[in-house]
Amino acid sequence: MDVFLPIAQVFVNPIEILLLSAIVGVLSGLFGVGGGFLMTPFLIFLGVPPAYAVANEANNILATSVSGSTTHYLKNTLDYKMGLMIVIGGTIGTALGIYTFTYFKGIGKIDTVISLAYMYILAIIGTLMLVESLGEIDRAKRNLIVKKKLHVHYWIHGLPLRMRFPKSKLYESIFTPIIIGLFVGFIAAIMGIGGAFILVPAMIYIIKMPTKLVPGTSLFVTIFVSVIVTFLHSFNFGSIDLMLVVMLVIGSIIGVQIGQKLGEKIDSSGLKALLAILLLLVGIAIAYETFFAEQAEKEIIQVLTSDLNFFSIFILEFSEDMPFFYGLFSIMFAILLGVGAALIRKFFSSLRKKYALKAK
Amino acid sequence: MSISSIKVFNKISDFKVTIIKTGIFVSLAAYWGIILVGTFITFS
Repeated sequence: MDVFLPIAQVFVNPIEILLLSAIVGVLSGLFGVGGGFLMTPFLIFLGVPPAYAVANEANNILATSVSGSTTHYLKNTLDYKMGLMIVIGGTIGTALGIYTFTYFKGIGKIDTVISLAYMYILAIIGTLMLVESLGEIDRAKRNLIVKKKLHVHYWIHGLPLRMRFPKSKLYESIFTPIIIGLFVGFIAAIMGIGGAFILVPAMIYIIKMPTKLVPGTSLFVTIFVSVIVTFLHSFNFGSIDLMLVVMLVIGSIIGVQIGQKLGEKIDSSGLKALLAILLLLVGIAIAYETFFAEQAEKEIIQVLTSDLNFFSIFILEFSEDMPFFYGLFSIMFAILLGVGAALIRKFFSSLRKKYALKAK
Repeated sequence: MSISSIKVFNKISDFKVTIIKTGIFVSLAAYWGIILVGTFITFS
C-alpha cells in the first residue's frame, strides 16, 4: 500500500517510514545521537530524493528536539544563556549552509554533495565511536585506569569577550559557543541533521559544561537550528512535504520515548560498538550507491492532480500559493506534536508515581 | 593448571585479540580507501 508524496513526487510505503522512523527514534533516545544522520540516508534508500530527505528530516528533528527539550525544561536542566549564544552562531551557520546548498543545487550537484557528506560524516563518527568503544571494552577487561588532565586548554579558550554563564558556572569567551554553533548550523542546513553529535562533545570537552546540562541545552539549540533550516528549505526550495513529515514525526516521537525509557534501564555503553558498526554499514551502503550502483533511469511517474486525494491537493496548493505560511505551518505542527508528546509522557509518568505511592 | 599451560592459554587469547584488532583495522582502512578513491574519481 504505497502513498504518493505530493511535494517529493515519489511513492513510499507508510508502514516502512513509520517503522524505520520509530527504530531510529529508539536509537536516538537510547544514545542521544543518531537520529538525523541515520534517518536521512534511510529516506534516500527508500527513494526520496536527497534534497527532499534533508528538508523533511530537519522538520522531523524539530519535533523530537521540542519533545526532548520540553522534558528537560520541566526538569530544569537547561542553560538558556549558553544555548542562545550557540544559536547566534547556528543562525549564521545555517544561512551560510543554505547559501552553499543553493549553489550546489544550481549546478545540479546537490545529490552528490549530500551523499558524499553523509559518507564522510558516518565514516568519521563510526570510526571514532568504534575505536573509542573497543578501547573502553579493552581497558575494562584489563582493569586499566587512564589518568587524564583535569583541564586541557586549547586556543579557543584564549578568545576575548568573556561572559559569565551562571547556570553552567563558567566564565568564557562568547566566541567559543558562537563558533561551535556556526559549524553546527552549516552542517545542519546541508545534511538535515540536528548536529548533536558535534554539539554534545563540543559542550563537554571544549566549552566544559556540566554533563547534566548538556543534553537539554543541545536539544534547545537544535530546536532553533531546525526551525531556521526547515523554514529556509521550505521558502527557498518548497521541499517540505507534510505527508512525509507526519509519518516521520509520529514514528520518531514514539521511538524516542521508548528509547529514553530503555536508556534509563539498560547500560548502553556495550551497545555503542554496535551503533558504530551500524553507522559504518550505512556509510558503506551510501558509498556503494554513489560510486558503484548503476544510475538507473528513474521512471518518472506522471501523477495528475485529479488523481490526488484531498489532503495531497491541499498540501500542493498550500505550498505553491503561500510558501511562507506553509513553512510556518510545518514548523508549528512539529512543535505542537513535540510539546504534546512531552506533556503526555509527563502525565503518564506522574500517574505511575501516584500509583506506586498508593501501592506502598 | 601448570604455569606453562596458563602461559600458552594467555598467548592464544592475546593472539585472538590481535587478529580481531588487525581485522578491524584492515576493514576500516579498506573502507576509507574506497571512499577516498571514489571521491577522487567522481571529481576528476
